[in-house]
Amino acid sequence: MQQLISFQEKVILITGASAGIGQQTAILLSNLGAKVILLATNEDKLIETLGLLNGTGHQYFCYDLSNLEEIENKVKEIVTQCGKIDGFVNCVGIRSRRPLSLLSIKEVRNVMDINFGSYIELVRCITKKGNFNSGLSIVGVSSIAAQAGGPGVTAYAASKAAVEAAVRCLSKELAPKNIRLNTVVPSQINTPEYAKLLQMNGGVDNVLNRQYLGLGEPDDVANAIAFLLSPASKFITGVSLPVDGGYLSS
Amino acid sequence: MTNQEKITLIEETLENDGGTLTENTQLSDVSEYDSMGKLTLIVLCDDEFNKKLTGEQIRNFVTVKDVLDFMG
Repeated sequence: MQQLISFQEKVILITGASAGIGQQTAILLSNLGAKVILLATNEDKLIETLGLLNGTGHQYFCYDLSNLEEIENKVKEIVTQCGKIDGFVNCVGIRSRRPLSLLSIKEVRNVMDINFGSYIELVRCITKKGNFNSGLSIVGVSSIAAQAGGPGVTAYAASKAAVEAAVRCLSKELAPKNIRLNTVVPSQINTPEYAKLLQMNGGVDNVLNRQYLGLGEPDDVANAIAFLLSPASKFITGVSLPVDGGYLSS
Repeated sequence: MTNQEKITLIEETLENDGGTLTENTQLSDVSEYDSMGKLTLIVLCDDEFNKKLTGEQIRNFVTVKDVLDFMG
């Protein structure tokens, strides 16, 4: 029987891989045969994630993506040690909740640098000749905030919307190199970050009222990412795929 | 920072009319103290006083003095 999705011997880089959606995606891709490269800042959590992966050949790299200037060297190091990249999943991101009155330009720059700047720089470096295999697929993790907005999340939503807009440009620019780019657009997902948000709001989450399939699980997003990474989606590029339990249609 | 200076800071940040808050003001009587007002207070405590305010703590605040005491 033919398997719809397999990543046998494929090298896939995941940023923000030590928790939540990134970690779940790493586990799923390893189950599907990939050689997974984990990248995040916390070494203890990276080691913990590495221990959850199936198969062999996985590696991790400790790196703080707010250091934009050194990303190129880090990508070179990764390619030298792990081989050319077949897939890239960008799960790194910081959430910022601030009312406009306390939204400093420094905070805006920090959010944009990490959520948008690091994505662009990683894509630029990975798509250089010699760093990727033909058929490279890139999946960014956006948010419903990019499309629906919300009070207090201006910088965060704008940074995610910037990624979605970039994907629509880069998918056209990089198509001649046989590279595809897409984003997934999750809503409320049962992650440690969501638990923090819920605690802050006293257990109340108004978003779930519109998310009529209920609270999502990291697996729900990981499955969509795996599909977009795989040749099963080879005719799909430049899209933002909602994984939102119906939120954006409500 | 004196309590009066903290009150002025809260008034400025919540864009409340200056001079309307006292230590005894009930937060439930402050129209600007809605969900965004609470988020504003959380960020203010973090930025200015380096204190993390949780949802549970903020729900226990009754008067302006409770906020001032938390700010320390």
